[in-house]
Amino acid sequence: MSTKVEINSADKLLKTKKRSQSADVWKRLKRSKTAVLGIILIAMFLGMAIFAPLIVDYEEDALKQNVRERLQEPSVEHIFGTDEFGRDIFARVVYGTRISLFVGLISVSIALSIGGFLGAIAGYYGGKIDNVIMRLLDVILAIPTILLAITIVAALGASMLNLMVAVGISNIPGFARIVRASVMSVKDQEFIEAAKAIGAKDHTIIIKHVLPNAMAPIIVYATLKVATAIMATASLSFIGLGVQPPTPEWGSMLAGGRTYIRDQMYIVLYPGLAIVLTVLSLNLVGDGLRDALDPKLK
Amino acid sequence: MIPVLIGVTFLVFFIISLTPGDPAVMILGNGATEEAISELREEMGFNEPVIIQYGNYMKDLLTGDMGTSYSTGKSVGSEIGQRFPNTFKLTLSAIVLSVMISIPIGVVSATRQYSLFDNIGMIIALIGISMPSFWVGLILIIIFALNLRWLPSGGMDGLKSLILPAFTLAIASTASITRTTRSSMLEVIRQDYIDTAKAKGVSRGVVIRKHALKNALIPAITVIGLEFGVLLGGAVLTETVFSWPGIGRLMVESIQRKDTPMVLGCIIVFAVAFSLVNLLIDILYSFIDPRIKASYN
Amino acid sequence: MSEHVLKISDLVVQYHTEEGIVEAVNGIDIVLDKGRTLGLVGETGAGKTTTARAIMKLIQSPPGKIIRGSIDLNGTDMINASEKDLEKIRGAQVSMIFQDPMTALNPVITVGDQIAEAILIHQKVSQSKANEKAKEMLELVGIPGNRVNEYPHQFSGGMKQRVVIAIALSCSPHLLIADEPTTALDVTIQAQVLELMKQLKVKFEMAMILITHDLGVVAEVCDEVAIMYAGRLVEYGSLEEIFRTTKHPYTEGLFNSIPNIDNRKAELIPIKGLMSDPYNLPPGCSFCDRCNYVMEICKENQPAKTYFSDTHFVECHLYSDNVNFKLKG
Repeated sequence: MSTKVEINSADKLLKTKKRSQSADVWKRLKRSKTAVLGIILIAMFLGMAIFAPLIVDYEEDALKQNVRERLQEPSVEHIFGTDEFGRDIFARVVYGTRISLFVGLISVSIALSIGGFLGAIAGYYGGKIDNVIMRLLDVILAIPTILLAITIVAALGASMLNLMVAVGISNIPGFARIVRASVMSVKDQEFIEAAKAIGAKDHTIIIKHVLPNAMAPIIVYATLKVATAIMATASLSFIGLGVQPPTPEWGSMLAGGRTYIRDQMYIVLYPGLAIVLTVLSLNLVGDGLRDALDPKLK
Repeated sequence: MIPVLIGVTFLVFFIISLTPGDPAVMILGNGATEEAISELREEMGFNEPVIIQYGNYMKDLLTGDMGTSYSTGKSVGSEIGQRFPNTFKLTLSAIVLSVMISIPIGVVSATRQYSLFDNIGMIIALIGISMPSFWVGLILIIIFALNLRWLPSGGMDGLKSLILPAFTLAIASTASITRTTRSSMLEVIRQDYIDTAKAKGVSRGVVIRKHALKNALIPAITVIGLEFGVLLGGAVLTETVFSWPGIGRLMVESIQRKDTPMVLGCIIVFAVAFSLVNLLIDILYSFIDPRIKASYN
Repeated sequence: MSEHVLKISDLVVQYHTEEGIVEAVNGIDIVLDKGRTLGLVGETGAGKTTTARAIMKLIQSPPGKIIRGSIDLNGTDMINASEKDLEKIRGAQVSMIFQDPMTALNPVITVGDQIAEAILIHQKVSQSKANEKAKEMLELVGIPGNRVNEYPHQFSGGMKQRVVIAIALSCSPHLLIADEPTTALDVTIQAQVLELMKQLKVKFEMAMILITHDLGVVAEVCDEVAIMYAGRLVEYGSLEEIFRTTKHPYTEGLFNSIPNIDNRKAELIPIKGLMSDPYNLPPGCSFCDRCNYVMEICKENQPAKTYFSDTHFVECHLYSDNVNFKLKG
């Protein structure tokens, strides 16, 4: 039937449009020096996380307590020095990358899937469903994110899993909002009406047509949220509500080193720098993506 | 706002009720007898379903009674009442400092886009939002308290002790508000009505101050409200680092001591404060934007 | 001898962007006398708005750059004038109306204040006098004076445009530049606004440059017409000359694109192709790919001006040897 042919060629046009769009975006992204710096940095951290065992030995360097070697200044042997238990700080920072990135990614995934689902439904169907979902989320939003995460972990008990759940849950409203806004702006466009007119089912429309076009702001948002999730992880671990010692986590390393800052400030300097650089690189990439996806906002 | 706050109290109450452990044991301690424990449970209503406990809590809350601390036995309300002004002092100083610095910088950055000032400013701002407040606090303590000895490293003792914690808190929000002000200004400057003003012969300074700024501030104000929420969260960490006697530190201590009513009380106060600030922002909004004012008439 | 209000000579304006150089205006000359209305006609991208902004020295730079040329407004060299002098001239000697009335007014300032602002800048009067004058201007454009304290969002599109006109005329400028003032409005409102502009033009004895792509509007309001294509003026003449003795193939194409109500069966003859890429203009005549009369020489050489009268010239190779060449019509 001729309609099918028309749909297929329209589909093809959409796909080529998308492909050349992504090529454009990549080209624009490469132009921003700061974005490229961010990509390099985050790639470096990813590398550290994935190849950690090749760089340092977990048991020997990161965990084993070695009282004779405690509180040593940075040297060739221990390039970041040793902590109050004689552990090599560099090794702990490297392994800490695994924890931070892992927790960051998982919690954002939780927030994205649940929040995204709620937001998509609220945005697409509107009306009462939208109202109910948004009001419920307003309740969560009335509590500052970190405090909510603290409360959840306080109630459930401090562990890495609960940390991921807590940070994930507290980010759900944010993702719901942005997905909802994106969906709402796309669904009123004409090609959606066209899809409806040929009888496409709701879920097909949402998944095949609405979401791919709404992706851009969501990707930017997700990148920036991984940054805040990493920050939240460190913060919660700092007050003892996150990853528990002796697992090396940057925030808890800062908590442990706090008593020694007078004479051994390197204990807090390096893990802190690791946090700053990781979060910074994600912010650089997120910003770069935002500018690349919508150049007129620059 | 009220229904949301009620929802908040329920949500928080519910989450906290998930805490494992027997609250009666927490109050009486491990040495208590079985009898005493079950008696206390009856008395405090710990055997009731969560909904009923919530109802009782809310009833008491309406009369200002937030229960008694599990660890000190004193009134939660009075403890919080004592500490709250300290947190308020800290966050207020931080937000005022932030706004005073960030708005001028954001405006200048936008009007001199791509200049050295703009580029460096934005890089600094980006670094600013990437630094954890507790780390910044520790570094500042190392520099200014331990090495230079200009300022105290903790406690609340006069104006000097406010400086470091307020600055620490202010850094992230300053960076964030600067970025928002800048991007808001950039968008406003591109608008047609700015061209109309220039075509009338309005001088550059007046265009920025009178025509652009007012419009640009509208979205910036929303961010200031949100930043306040972040500051409240940040206060928990900063107060811990600087041993500042506010409700943030109180909350952390109560969590460690498993003092549930205190934790609950602190969160509710935080949530109420946050909602009040947002309400104030909404009212401010309607004063600045005549379109919103009109929709209220 | 009537005085020139505006004299533009060999104006060249380019935009230097990351993607390349846009040759927006490529050497145009305009002379406009007091009280006359010039219609600047062309498709989107021809360089009309850039020309208008150049006159006001309101081109965003970067990326815009005035490469060469001179713009003389009532004796002032606009290109080399200081920003302070320009601020005194804008709004007082020359005013501009932009394309979209919906976004041309500041949403947080009352319309009265926006009109009074222009008056306060250029005339030494008190605030209350300025407010009075603002009210008068509103009445002049057909809006009740008591609406002077309302905000732009409280007005419809057509009324917003009237407010814009009120602002532009508040200091009785010698020259008014109107950039497609009616394009964004409904047809009925268009007629009203045009009528208003005609009356005010007479009342204030203003010269006017009306930028438009609508030849119907030109016929209503203009005394002279300049046809702009790819940054050049390909034909320039009085209203009569352009409408009755059209010389340039592009102008002929524009007229043929208008539906003929007397001959419903006649085919619409669109101009084939699209305007050339402004990042990459061809060396010869920019219209050659779309021209029905194209010759070899057109692709290599930029045509020189051929004059048919003191006021009518065309840039086209068809006439360089034979001034009497006739278009097919």
